[in-house]
Amino acid sequence: MAEQTKTGTVSREEQLKKLSKVSLVRSLLPIIGLVAVFIVFNILTGGRMIQNPSLVMSQIYVTMISATGVFFIMTMGGLDFSQGSILGMASIVVCLVSKVAPVPVAVIAGIATGAGIGAINGFFYVNRKIKSFIVTICTMFLFRGIIKYLTSNAPVGASATMILLNKDQLKLICTLVVVVLGFVAFHFTKFGIHLRAIGAGEKAAKFAGIHTDRTKFLIYVLAGAITGFAAFINVIKVGSVTASGGNQLETQILIALVLGGMPISGGAKARFLNVIVGSLLYIVLTSGLTMMGMTTQAMQLVQGVVFLIFVAIFADRESLKVIK
Amino acid sequence: MSEVRLQVQNLCKSFGITKAVQNVSFNVNKGEVHALIGENGSGKSTLTNMLTGIYTIDSGHFILDGKEIHPKNQVEANNEGVSIIVQELGTLSGLTVAENIFLGHEERFVKHGIKNTGAMNREAQQLLNKYGFNRIRAGAMVDEYNFEDRKLVEIVKATYFTPKIVVIDETTTALSQEGREELYKHMNRIREEGNTIIFISHDLPEILRLSDTITVLRDGVYIDTVKSADVTEDDLKKLMVGREVTGDYYRSDYDTKVSDEVVMSVRNVSVPGQISDISFDLHKGEILGFGGLSESGMHEIGKACFGASFNRTGSVTLADGTSIDSIPKAISHSIAYTSKDRDNESVVMNQSIGDNICLPSLDSLRSFFCFLSGSKMKKFANEHAKEMSVKMVNTNQFVSDLSGGNKQKVVLARWIGKDSDILVLDSPTRGIDIKVKQDIYQLMDRMRKQGKSIIMISEELMELIGMCDHIYIMKDGKINGELDRSPDLNENALIAKMV
Repeated sequence: MAEQTKTGTVSREEQLKKLSKVSLVRSLLPIIGLVAVFIVFNILTGGRMIQNPSLVMSQIYVTMISATGVFFIMTMGGLDFSQGSILGMASIVVCLVSKVAPVPVAVIAGIATGAGIGAINGFFYVNRKIKSFIVTICTMFLFRGIIKYLTSNAPVGASATMILLNKDQLKLICTLVVVVLGFVAFHFTKFGIHLRAIGAGEKAAKFAGIHTDRTKFLIYVLAGAITGFAAFINVIKVGSVTASGGNQLETQILIALVLGGMPISGGAKARFLNVIVGSLLYIVLTSGLTMMGMTTQAMQLVQGVVFLIFVAIFADRESLKVIK
Repeated sequence: MSEVRLQVQNLCKSFGITKAVQNVSFNVNKGEVHALIGENGSGKSTLTNMLTGIYTIDSGHFILDGKEIHPKNQVEANNEGVSIIVQELGTLSGLTVAENIFLGHEERFVKHGIKNTGAMNREAQQLLNKYGFNRIRAGAMVDEYNFEDRKLVEIVKATYFTPKIVVIDETTTALSQEGREELYKHMNRIREEGNTIIFISHDLPEILRLSDTITVLRDGVYIDTVKSADVTEDDLKKLMVGREVTGDYYRSDYDTKVSDEVVMSVRNVSVPGQISDISFDLHKGEILGFGGLSESGMHEIGKACFGASFNRTGSVTLADGTSIDSIPKAISHSIAYTSKDRDNESVVMNQSIGDNICLPSLDSLRSFFCFLSGSKMKKFANEHAKEMSVKMVNTNQFVSDLSGGNKQKVVLARWIGKDSDILVLDSPTRGIDIKVKQDIYQLMDRMRKQGKSIIMISEELMELIGMCDHIYIMKDGKINGELDRSPDLNENALIAKMV
């Protein structure tokens, strides 16, 4: 009998090792994918990708910054489809303010705009208890409408000083600051553990003393503010905002995060690495396809297929109930 | 020698890494109540879930009256003559009582593709009346009834077609005395009709009273099958645990004087629809019990003391005058709470054991500024998990992998780590086996001696009598009686105040 128990525990440990191996493969898959895709496209484009790092990188800043905020939201089990409209709206505000005030004021105005829209999302989500994807789809349409109205005569342009700031170093530093702050906060403060706990079991998190409602509200505000900051990068890059400014950013972020291995239902398995690897993978994939001369329509098709495959791999079916 | 009804042969089932049932074989006879016992995670429910088609069989056979059955779902199992009353809620919300009873067998009432609701309701009502549950209306939504009545509907659902085998999986812990009597009555009837009941329960006296034969499982392995008449409670405990259960089960002292120092005073607390005008004092080093029927409002008292009630009025104040009105405030003032709804309200299921233990104590696990120290967290989690002897591989393992008893240990480890002075324990031993129960009782006794105060809310009267210095009995949201600790106290004295 004793022997039997012993063999039982041994095989149990072995099986656990096997399981952790599976999860290791899962977490490494995005990184392997990134390297593989990068090599493949470099070969296919005859090294054009590696020769034009700034061209590839220029696509990444806005996506990666905004993805940081959405990553927090998704970790606690929510979704945000209003990111594109937040970016468009905040970009318009940054442009308008930049004409009458110095740049830092314009940046702050953009952040405030994003935070404001995030607060609207958070209010309806937390206080009115409406599912986050419904709330954010509503605000997506609402603010897209306002953006179209504001840009109906002509695109809204930024001041000249703003456009002169269009330097890779500045954009890179801004992105790094956001990503590093996000990484440290997520993995080395209680902020991250609280978010993961809410995602993994909100009621139990509440009974463990977490201010769940307050946290949920503030995360939407934070995600809005982060995208509001991304609007500054967006404005110095494009110079003016049209009716489609920021369009489809939400889908790009969602695809990027899922490509990075983010569990779509959030929870304890979320890693900040998902943001970084995911955004890089997404950008390499899209710019690679563009360099190969693929049309926008065909690209959306490819994106859809890739997205489906990754969701199928990474969806944690046990914890995937209804997304909040 | 009675006739064999069901042969279980070399049955196996694994869930990922866990071997839940390993090569189990035994026979079940006609016309008997056959109890299945074992500690948590011993494979009782897994086995019966395979029999009733809830889980698939990995390998092995069920042979019912000489014919092998392998049902793929509960409806197929019903057609083979096997039904189950499950541990948790087994009726579906959003359907009527009649629709629940005939779930999967609607074709009886369908003509030309149209369901005859009237006929279905009539027949369901006839069944309900036959069982003596006249107050339940067949046409009403099942949601209109409380947990207890829904269990009665399940009894009808599982037995109206006189199945050959009825599995009753720990149903009695969810029922009040009254509901239990109903269930016992129908168990007897089924047995007298020559059919078989497989009965799962943690309540050994109940098992000895009701069953004819008892099969013991341990860690998914078959141990023995015995006649109830030949064994005592201690024999069963020994078979289940695999060694002698020694030492005191409950606390043994009866002359301890509780300190006069009040640590928490509850005054005129009401929660709409739950409790009204509750007042009591909790003293230092006291174990204060709350008993009653499940619907009596006693579970809400725990939430109210922890600042977790919605729309509470009245006051909960600590010795230093702090008023407790929110969960974070309660925790920061050293109050701990374990919920009856362990999976939803106590443990964060899809998170690691370590994070679960550290959650309320994160502020004390920093290295500098607001940065957490990974090594401190790991040490903290390991230390308290070991202290509670949680069965685990390491603290990175997810709580969802653990059995009920081990989940409860994780919750207790969390609050011991936080060094809480006031513990509100709602149904701390619900669905937990003897060994862990004993651990929890001993822990409570130790904490009491250390001067910590405990509010224990429980539906198990024996543990209230065994552990508490003072017991309040709740009825209809009010305190209906109070009893002091005494060796002469028995269940009947408590039941008298409950109903």
